[in-house]
This record gives sequence, structure tokens and C-alpha cells, in this order.
Amino acid sequence: MKKIVCIVMAALSGYFVMAQSELPPVDKSPMDMSYYPINYPVLKIQDKLAEPLAARVVYSRPKKEGRTIFGGLVEYGKIWRLGANEATEIEFYRKVNIGGKKIARGRYTLYAIVNENSWTFIINKETDTWGAFKYNPDKDVVRVDIPVEKTNDALENFTMTFEKKDKSINLVVAWENVRVALPVKL
Amino acid sequence: MSVVMKLIRKYWSLLIFLFVWSACKEKAAQLSPKPVLPKDSVVSESADSVTDTYTSVDKSPMDMVYFPVDYPKFKMANNKIPPPVARVIYSRPHLQGRQLFHDVLKYGEHWRMGANESTEIDFFRDVTIQGKKIRAGRYVIYCILGPASWNIAINTNIDSWGLQQDTTRDVQRFQIPVTHGNPALEYYTMAFSKTSTGADLIMAWDDVVARLPIEF
Repeated sequence: MKKIVCIVMAALSGYFVMAQSELPPVDKSPMDMSYYPINYPVLKIQDKLAEPLAARVVYSRPKKEGRTIFGGLVEYGKIWRLGANEATEIEFYRKVNIGGKKIARGRYTLYAIVNENSWTFIINKETDTWGAFKYNPDKDVVRVDIPVEKTNDALENFTMTFEKKDKSINLVVAWENVRVALPVKL
Repeated sequence: MSVVMKLIRKYWSLLIFLFVWSACKEKAAQLSPKPVLPKDSVVSESADSVTDTYTSVDKSPMDMVYFPVDYPKFKMANNKIPPPVARVIYSRPHLQGRQLFHDVLKYGEHWRMGANESTEIDFFRDVTIQGKKIRAGRYVIYCILGPASWNIAINTNIDSWGLQQDTTRDVQRFQIPVTHGNPALEYYTMAFSKTSTGADLIMAWDDVVARLPIEF
């Protein structure tokens, strides 16, 4: 009975969300945020920070839902927003070096051209934009080719996170059976 | 039929309830006990349980709103538009059958106005709120809840988890009225709405709506 009440309430609230058009409904591909240091906001309030804030990525997380992702939903050779909805935003809180290029602190948009064996990551200055539909190569800061690693387990949710690698960090991008790690030198 | 069987037949629903209750209790005991101040939402994980975020999707999904409304889509259509005025990044807890001001939020408590990370507000230019100037930049926004009004704080402790606020870093506080009895919303929602002097930042959840007027 409680379950039925819940379902009815959820359905009704869905109706009201539609009725109040200026209030946006919940996205099918939810947004998420990853920091380096990993879990920076939690460590900050726990006074456990060992390293200064370096980078953050804000992206949306589409689901696989039984589809072929790479070479299917995400076509090879085409530019991809690395997520869904708004273009993926990467922010550096200090100077970094990617692909041999010095990058000033600030907000950027991150795209990728996806191929079967390697991806081309693109860091671009045009922020606050939607998708990759109006991608402008004149605003590129750097392009880096990274080989693709294949994984055994298929990942349902598109995922971006950071990992520490020796004295550097990687931005890890993973979905389906693919994992790609973009080195970011601090 | 034995007495025991009779008792079981008579009180079977109570037994099931006790079984479910004890199972739930056990699950609750497995969760990390800290830190839960303020208890703004049962769906928000405690700070210790968020270390493995590699593949899991948040229960309270994050979302982003701009002013002008849908700015990224307009930018897609026209690259020449001026920069946006403001942006909010927040997480969206949902009621899941709970009563907002009974099970989820309490009057007098600080609330991150969302879930998980502190709610972040970027002003891309200087704005004015209730006659006070707020300089362009990034802030977090939280409130102290009341039945008739909320006390909104604009604060510089950015990139923080929303369970505790550093009030020493408040930039301004604003008292704003709230209305009850609006159409109910399952998901906590923030939105900008254009006004004659700028935009209102709307906070809406269940049947409660609060508006923070921003001038620019």
C-alpha cells in the first residue's frame, strides 16, 4: 500500500514539475563533479587536506542502457562533449601542463574525438556552452592523443575521475569497456 | 492447533513488521554514524561513505542552472552573446515519500540548499541583493530555515562539502520570505526567473517556494 502511495505521489509530483515550466525537471543523464585531490570537499570540512586543490571536472553521466557506446552512440572520428547536455567543464586551480603545453589556471571546455584505439582530447577556451555542436577549433588550447585501454567489465554509467600517478595525475575517463587516462602534470 | 500457531496467525502482520523493522535497523547500524549535522536529508551520504565514487551515481543528482535561463543552449545558437550573469551548481535530493519539514529539514538548522557538495553560485559580474553589492566571483550559498522566512548566506568557503558551514566566511546574509501551499515538487529545484530589475533565484521543494531577488 505504501508503495502504491509512493508511486502515485511520484507520478503526481512529475505532473506538477511539468506544470511549473520555469522549474526544470531532473535530467536523464545526471550531472556530477570530480575533484583532484579526490573528494576534496569532504577532506576540506574534515581538515584532512594533504594537497592543494588542483582540478575539477563537471560533466553529465549518460547510461549505457544496453546500447553500443563506442563506434555506436559515440561515433568514431567525431567530436564528443564527453558526457551529455552541457559541454564538459574542466577547471584548473593552478598552472598545469598537458601534452607539453602550459595551461593557465581557469575554466575550460573538454572535448574528445573518439576512435577505436586512441582518443584526441581537446581543451578549448569556449566555456558555458551546450554539447559540441558549435565547437570552434580556433579556441583550442591543446590537443593530445591518448591510447585507449580496454577493460573486462563494461561500465554502465559514463564516469570521469582523477587518479594519482607517480608525481603527476591522470584524468580518467571510462565507459563501456574503454578507459582513457589523460596525464595532467601539476 | 497449538497456542503458538494461533498467536502467529493472529499477530502475523506484527511479526512481519518486526522482521522488516529489525532488518532496517541493522542496515542503519552498518552506515557510518558521523557526521550528520545538519540532518538536511536522509538521502545524502555521510562524509565517510563517499570515498568510492568511481562508478556509482549519486542518489541526489547534481544539476546546473544559468541566468540567462538555458544560456548554454543560446550560446550554441549564437556565439556572440555576452557572458552569462550567474550560474548555480547544486544537488537535487528527493522526498521519496518523506515530509519535507518533518523528516528532512528542521527549522532553525543550517541547510546547504541541496545535497552533497555545498551549493555553488557564480556571479560573472557584480550584482546587488537587497541593496548590498556582491562582487563577481564564486561563492557557496546556504540558508537558515524558518517557517515564514529563510536567512540566506553568501559565503566564500567554496569547494566544500555541505554538511558544515564556516559562518566566519559569510559575505552577506539576506532574510527572504517563503510561501507554503505551492504545487508539490518531488525533487528540490533551483531556477532563475527574469524580473524587471534582474532575476529571482528560486528555491522550491515540496510545497515551499523561496525567492532571492538579484539585481544587475
